[in-house]
Amino acid sequence: MGQAEWATVPISTRDTKGPLFFTEHEWATVEAATARIIPTDHHPGAREAGVVRFIDRMLAGTQFVFPAADGKGFLRMEGLEEQAWQERIESRRTFYRDGIIELDAIAADAFGADFLNLTEDQQDAVLERISRKEKPTKFVFAESDGQGSGGAPAGNQPVNEDFLEFFPLLVLNTRQGFYGDPVYGGNDNRLGWRVIGFPGPPSLAATMDGSYTTLEYMIPEAEWPYEQHPAVLRYGDR
Amino acid sequence: MTTLKNPEPVDVVIVGAGAGGATAAKVLTEAGLRVVGLERGPWLKPEHASGDELKFLNRNFIWQDPKLKPRTYRQNDSEEAVVTNFSATPQVVGGGTTHWGGMVPRMTENDFRLRSLHGDVEGASLVDWPITYDDLEPYYTRVEWEFGTSGLGGANRWEGRRSRDYPTKPAPLSQIGRKFATAMDKMGHSTFPMPQGMVTEPYRGRTPFSENGFWQQYPDPGTGKSSTLISFIPDAVHTGLYDLRSDCYVSEVLVDKTGKATGVRYQDEHGNEFVQNAKAVIVCGGGIETPRLLLMSTSALFPDGLGNGSGQVGKNATFHQYSFSVGLFDRALHDPLYGWSGHYMNLCSFDFYETDESRGHILGSLIFPSMLGHPVNWSFPGRPTWGQAAKDADRDLFNYSMKIGILLHDLPVESNRVDLDPNVKDAWGLPVARITHTPHANDFAQEKWQVKKNGEILEAAGASKVVPVNMERITGNTSHELGTVRMGNDPATSVVDKWCRSHEVPNLYVFDASFFPTATGINPALTIMANAWRCADRIIAVDRHGWTD
Ligand SMILES: Cc1cc2nc3c(=O)[nH]c(=O)nc-3n(C[C@H](O)[C@H](O)[C@H](O)COP(=O)(O)OP(=O)(O)OC[C@H]3O[C@@H](n4cnc5c(N)ncnc54)[C@H](O)[C@@H]3O)c2cc1C
Repeated sequence: MGQAEWATVPISTRDTKGPLFFTEHEWATVEAATARIIPTDHHPGAREAGVVRFIDRMLAGTQFVFPAADGKGFLRMEGLEEQAWQERIESRRTFYRDGIIELDAIAADAFGADFLNLTEDQQDAVLERISRKEKPTKFVFAESDGQGSGGAPAGNQPVNEDFLEFFPLLVLNTRQGFYGDPVYGGNDNRLGWRVIGFPGPPSLAATMDGSYTTLEYMIPEAEWPYEQHPAVLRYGDR
Repeated sequence: MTTLKNPEPVDVVIVGAGAGGATAAKVLTEAGLRVVGLERGPWLKPEHASGDELKFLNRNFIWQDPKLKPRTYRQNDSEEAVVTNFSATPQVVGGGTTHWGGMVPRMTENDFRLRSLHGDVEGASLVDWPITYDDLEPYYTRVEWEFGTSGLGGANRWEGRRSRDYPTKPAPLSQIGRKFATAMDKMGHSTFPMPQGMVTEPYRGRTPFSENGFWQQYPDPGTGKSSTLISFIPDAVHTGLYDLRSDCYVSEVLVDKTGKATGVRYQDEHGNEFVQNAKAVIVCGGGIETPRLLLMSTSALFPDGLGNGSGQVGKNATFHQYSFSVGLFDRALHDPLYGWSGHYMNLCSFDFYETDESRGHILGSLIFPSMLGHPVNWSFPGRPTWGQAAKDADRDLFNYSMKIGILLHDLPVESNRVDLDPNVKDAWGLPVARITHTPHANDFAQEKWQVKKNGEILEAAGASKVVPVNMERITGNTSHELGTVRMGNDPATSVVDKWCRSHEVPNLYVFDASFFPTATGINPALTIMANAWRCADRIIAVDRHGWTD
């Protein structure tokens, strides 16, 4: 059946408690690792936002790939697209399973315990080793050379995760689980959005019926030519 | 496979239902012709759309899945091409217009005569268009009014004569628009509202966009955004003469012994194969898929691909690389920019559009400010990727960043091209498009200069840090794939004539982005649609009388 006819299955990423794909150990390890990628400070981090659930649901199969537009369930994929996603998920599963084994191996080698049981600083050291780079330092306007590894700068094209190694994949998925729509299982209570000051829609449905708008963050009363408008001039030098 | 009956022959079969194909369908059916449209993608409806960043930006719900529809890229002939997602463009009913930014400026008069203005530029294949701005002007106006646009007529003083204003007023000003206008004003430059494929007032039964920020790369669940999916396709369907079959993949254009096109071969979603016969064939698959289809359509009369006697099919490809400077603002000194509010871009300037040789290069681009993206995909080079530093950067800069972009007005180079990859096949077993491309030196010079200038504008706007994002190579990141089936008067150096009709096959046409003889420094879709309308008018008035057997 063509993509336009895919049926909506009214399931949610939260229907089941706990892991669908990971073992308990894997779940706990990924949760700990994501909590170092987006740590908890005076604001919640990856752990509170349920990022591990996001990753687990992504790896569970093709049932949680595409939510229905209004977020009330997921689309049942079919045909070639489903096969392609099945393949993609298989290979990501391997990345995660092998990656977790590697995290534990590095942890055992360096500190004599599983990744999960290390201190935060020790965990960071393991992540440095697996990423083969030093832990990123704070961005400072004056110092940053702007040439670092910030990932693809926002352009027009979709981000292709298919060729990523384990660590960059984990980092990207953590970001997706923290900032993606809550229907995917992460960004619990829209915590991720609140941390950075993105109002975000209360639900996907609210982006469909027009009830969610960002007009209040704009300057609707400004008429062209804008440079003569007081709201613009306020920031001019004249 | 059971043998199924071929469908009834019709007047015209159109491959693809994007910008070009849907416009042709509307014009032809409204004139009473029977048209079959074959579109390889699904017929998604507005109710399939919502503000879901992962689905529409990261997980190919409408972008092509690179596992099924790969493309390959190499810089030059001596390299082996590698699989990439080059110039991904949604393959759905509505094509690239479904989830586009909807910037719809008109080309300038000079864009039509680059060779007259610049002569032979070494290493480039510059030509004049066989038509002028005046030939297209009435059609620009028709598209602006039928498709639904917003803007301010006369605000762009580089624009040629305009016979009518825009149907709806400019979109509301965003904070990044304000920053841009103010900085440009300070530097003595001008700005004006970006003409957009959106309605900002109730218009012909359509409701304006709700301004929720889910615009660029998102299809619209409402009717505010103009796309062929909600405008020209429904118009054509309404005539009762347009049979649009989605999920139908055309693999060959067929010809008879006399060298006339007879129709196309296609597969439906179940893999059943059909032949659709028609009196004429219009190919509108986009600037990469169209040359690919013509090159796949070989026969005794056309061993090198259909209509390719000149050997020009696929050549002179340009891709409008999108480059920009990112500005990061110190939150202690500035109000938040809220880049995600409104609709991606807002204002623009043409002050750097026309050639000024004192810059050290020819040609130029429109420039426009925009956001860096929604939370998941928001990024700039140098952003810390993980740990406390990453969280701090997101928190401090997400609402305090913007970019000013350019669309490279790249020079056509004959060897920059699309052909069939000898090694890689798609999920249907057909050879994929291979892109061979090295930018002309002028492209690099132009891009460097403008990205630096955009950085200066951001500094004037008060940015504490400017990060230039220069191109290393062409990636096709604008999805503006142009020029691969050149329009021209001379059959030796072009593929289609000034009516976008094949020089060799009298009832074969190409109305999508591939006809562009040279690129522009602006977005192409308005011109694609205006040109498709112009050429479809010609079919109605002249050509179809020659098709009758
Ligand atoms: C994110 C994004 C933003 C953009 N923003 C703008 C903008 O602001 N302004 C602008 O002017 N342009 C913009 N564009 C570009 C614009 O969308 C394209 O230039 C335009 O759609 C090209 O029109 P076309 O008719 O050549 O091809 P398309 O619109 O791409 O249509 C081609 C159609 O043909 C179908 N097809 C291809 N091969 C076959 C086959 N063998 N059988 C059956 N069907 C086939 C495809 O599935 C597709 O639907 C944007 C593009 C993207 C991706």
